[in-house]
Amino acid sequence: MRTVLFASLRHHTRRYVASALAVIIGVAFIVATDGLAGALRDGMTADVGKPYAGASYVVETQDLEQVQALVEAGAREGFGVQPIAENWTSLRVEGRTVDNITLGTVALDPDLRWQELVAGQHPTGPGEVVVDERTAARAALDVGDEVVIPFAEKEGAFRVVGISDATVGAGADVYLLWSDIAADQSVWVRGVLWNGTFSAADELTDGAVIWTAEEHVRDLQKQITQGVDVISLMVMLFGAIALGVAILVITNTFAILFAQRTRDFALLRCVGVTQRQLRRSVRIEAMVLAIVAAGVGVLVGMGAAWAFGSVLARRFDAMGQVSFSPAWVIGAAVVGILVTVVAAWLPTRAVTRVSPLAALRPDAGVGISTPAGRFRILLATLMIAGGVAALVAAMANKEATTAILLMLAGGALSFVGVLLLGPLLIPALLRGAGRLISRKGPAGAVARLATGNSVRNPRRTATTAASLMVGVTLTTAVLTGLHVMWAGLSEEMDTSYSLDMAVAVIGAEPLPDDIARRAAELDGVDDAVLVTGGRHELLTGTESVLLGVPDTSILRGSEDVLRGADLVVPHELINVLGEQDLERYYADGTVTVRGVDGPLVVKVRSTDAYGGTVVLDPAVLEKLVSAPEPRALWLRAQDGADAGDLETALNTLLGRSDLVWSGDYEERTWVETQMNVMTGAVVGLLGVAIVIALIGIGNTLGLSVIERGRENALLRAMGLTKPQLRRTLAVEGLLVAMVATLLGIAIGLGFAWVGIEVLVAEMIDTSFAVPVRQLAVVLVVAGVSGVLASVLPSRRAARVSPAEGLALQ
Amino acid sequence: MTTATTSRHRPLDPAPDVAARARGLSKTYGKGESAVHALRGIDLEVRAGRFTAIMGPSGSGKSTLMHCLAGLDGVTSGEVTVAGRDLSGLDDTELTLFRREHIGFVFQAFNLLPMLTAGQNIVLPLELSGRSLDRERYDKVVDVLGIADRLGHLPGELSGGQQQRVAIARALVADPAIVFADEPTGNLDSEASAEVLGHLRRSVREHQMTVVMVTHELDAAAYADDVVVIRDGAVAAHLVEPTQDELVAALRSKVA
Repeated sequence: MRTVLFASLRHHTRRYVASALAVIIGVAFIVATDGLAGALRDGMTADVGKPYAGASYVVETQDLEQVQALVEAGAREGFGVQPIAENWTSLRVEGRTVDNITLGTVALDPDLRWQELVAGQHPTGPGEVVVDERTAARAALDVGDEVVIPFAEKEGAFRVVGISDATVGAGADVYLLWSDIAADQSVWVRGVLWNGTFSAADELTDGAVIWTAEEHVRDLQKQITQGVDVISLMVMLFGAIALGVAILVITNTFAILFAQRTRDFALLRCVGVTQRQLRRSVRIEAMVLAIVAAGVGVLVGMGAAWAFGSVLARRFDAMGQVSFSPAWVIGAAVVGILVTVVAAWLPTRAVTRVSPLAALRPDAGVGISTPAGRFRILLATLMIAGGVAALVAAMANKEATTAILLMLAGGALSFVGVLLLGPLLIPALLRGAGRLISRKGPAGAVARLATGNSVRNPRRTATTAASLMVGVTLTTAVLTGLHVMWAGLSEEMDTSYSLDMAVAVIGAEPLPDDIARRAAELDGVDDAVLVTGGRHELLTGTESVLLGVPDTSILRGSEDVLRGADLVVPHELINVLGEQDLERYYADGTVTVRGVDGPLVVKVRSTDAYGGTVVLDPAVLEKLVSAPEPRALWLRAQDGADAGDLETALNTLLGRSDLVWSGDYEERTWVETQMNVMTGAVVGLLGVAIVIALIGIGNTLGLSVIERGRENALLRAMGLTKPQLRRTLAVEGLLVAMVATLLGIAIGLGFAWVGIEVLVAEMIDTSFAVPVRQLAVVLVVAGVSGVLASVLPSRRAARVSPAEGLALQ
Repeated sequence: MTTATTSRHRPLDPAPDVAARARGLSKTYGKGESAVHALRGIDLEVRAGRFTAIMGPSGSGKSTLMHCLAGLDGVTSGEVTVAGRDLSGLDDTELTLFRREHIGFVFQAFNLLPMLTAGQNIVLPLELSGRSLDRERYDKVVDVLGIADRLGHLPGELSGGQQQRVAIARALVADPAIVFADEPTGNLDSEASAEVLGHLRRSVREHQMTVVMVTHELDAAAYADDVVVIRDGAVAAHLVEPTQDELVAALRSKVA
């Protein structure tokens, strides 16, 4: 039996390539994910311990008084104490504004100072800062430059004395001395490095957690690692989906191969091989394939992780050394082997049912198999009904966890039901689709042949289609879900974040009259409008820029800026109201302000959406400002314009530094980018499953071509040209891919609808919408891939001359 | 040997009467030491409007000869002319187009495409070439072959004899210049065989078709007008309307 086993392995190697490929891709995906997650863990945790290197203890307290007490104790007793503090702000450098700046702390004490400098020196006293090298590059800063940090309470001017080496997972953009950063009450203290005794620290802080430095670092690393693990687990989920699809491809391969070898098996049974021996032999064959494919998958995955890891490390500092956890690698290999063996199990059972007599009967050619038994139809119907019921229940259920569980169960159940019904459903759809493309004449004959071929083996075709359907359904559901969410979000942003960008001048000089026209001509600006207003002391001691509401067509959506109020003011203006005025404001929303002709009672609404400027009814403006002049520009950006580029261009155009910026375009583009990244990532990851499914389509076609050699020769004899034969296979691939894709899209849309109702309808106001363009791309890609999948099989089929084909058994 | 000599000396009418002609036809498979010379310089003329049987033992090259005459396979040397057209210079596509215009086939098995009904199988060659169906001819052929009530069935639902009759119908409907039949009765019982052969002969008599049949059965050859005996890749005899005795003698001559 061993001779037979090895001979058949050798003989059929090429036919196993596609199945092996499916397993290899799935296993490699998991191994590579593990390797890259390892690199991410390594990179992100490498620098975490740095700030704590010189400390004995870390006191975890956010109470500024306690922190101050600790700092003073250190100074008194003469040991090192250094708070690790953070703040978030922006920078101004020579009139330019640099946003998204994190502030950190640098110690005077060399023992507790961890930043490594690449230029300059460490601060020696207040007013001196060290800048991270990446930030220095971003803000075009160098040693000796002056920067202004606009703290919430007051601005501070600082001098850059050093540039520090970049770090990951620890550190900040700009490092200040504790005394400087603590000048602002909004500072956030992560902990205090403490080189005194434990009891001394304990006495000074009430109930604060005191760690040894090593413990604390380990804890921080664990938190980061857990974060990475969650992400990598989510990515692994896609690997699991890919392997699920691989199961379908492998089952099909074995089913087809065994069908083709029925006579061989019968012959073996004739010469005295028992059922058990035969079954063992084919199962070992599957096992060998499984082990080889899983092994190659591990190697490919490791190679891919090294390759990607080194490319990514060049671009992202957070990528460290690629490393693999043995558990995951072994797990991936075992799963790969299991998937193969399980997938081969059903087909191998069929093998033993071959009667020895089959060898003696004349080969009747390729038969037409039955579509589906009654039991299967009943089971499928029950599953679909149960699944749909669960989905409906999920939508009705108010309790989130139960609803999600119901949704997942219902989705899985109904999808498996559809797959079970596949042998009935898919051929019916294929016949329908075939009828659509069948015309009279030769092209019609080709289409009819292709349709006939595609439905002659319903189970085989259904399995092939199912493998593609899995990926398409999930892709559609994700694309639609995100599309609807984005539509809802963007509608919401249109009303609540309706002003893209606004810039007001605070100096004495007004803006030139033609500035709106010039601004509108800038790249990325859709439209711009000039806003008139003036500087005015609304309340004693507070000078504000007042702007009359311009033509609101500049806004996105149809936001009513004033909403019944006379004035829209920043929160800070409300904060300076006296106690009595504040009470009145809370009671009826009115405030008394200084007008041109004395005090004026106005209705006020407060928001920071207009960047510190006061926006008001133009009629009211006249009562407050005697001579309104051009004071601000409001802009609407073109879709897709870069927020930073826009600000730079405007800065250049205006050519002055007394500017106040506001508007939500940057926020909007950020959300949009997040959505795009998420969509891209999910679709890319699902792409793995789709690639495997397409390999499956090519595989089924390829194996069918071998099987139909005699038939194709007959067709060729009767006048089917080579191009027509190739076209027949292309149409078959196209039909199967299209039907699977359309069905997948239909189911995916259903799932997306349920998913949106269950998951996001509560949070965002959404209306269901189909992402037509994206789904069209999915359809086209599937169609083209179906045709591409037929290329190799059809070349192979066309190579055989009719005379050769007729001689085939 | 005398019969063979007779046939060679018999004056044959040239051009219009000849449906297919082979001149110095050789076919070699493989190269060098492993080369197999399937046909060695065959000269043969198949006369139009007659039922010709090609006979010979297994491995004699009779099927290869048919494949070469029918344009299913290229030749190594020599020339093949069918329906007045020299096939030697044609590429694969030209050969295919020629086949579907001028040649009909009936094979031993796998004659029909399993996923098409009998009716669809019959009209397939016409559809492939984009020619329109002569409805009258179709009805007549189907009627004569006695398969009118089976047209909606898949091949799997037909008996072996019915399948072969569908195949004959397919060959006849397109009105080809010549029909090649490769062991058409190889899988049939004697009753069905007689039926199929009778239909082939009738198509020659009544429709003036030209039929070339490869067979190794004496009973089948008895239906033919002319019998060509192939042995070791060469024409051993070309008999015109032989008697049973002449035929047996020609087939046995090598053994003697």
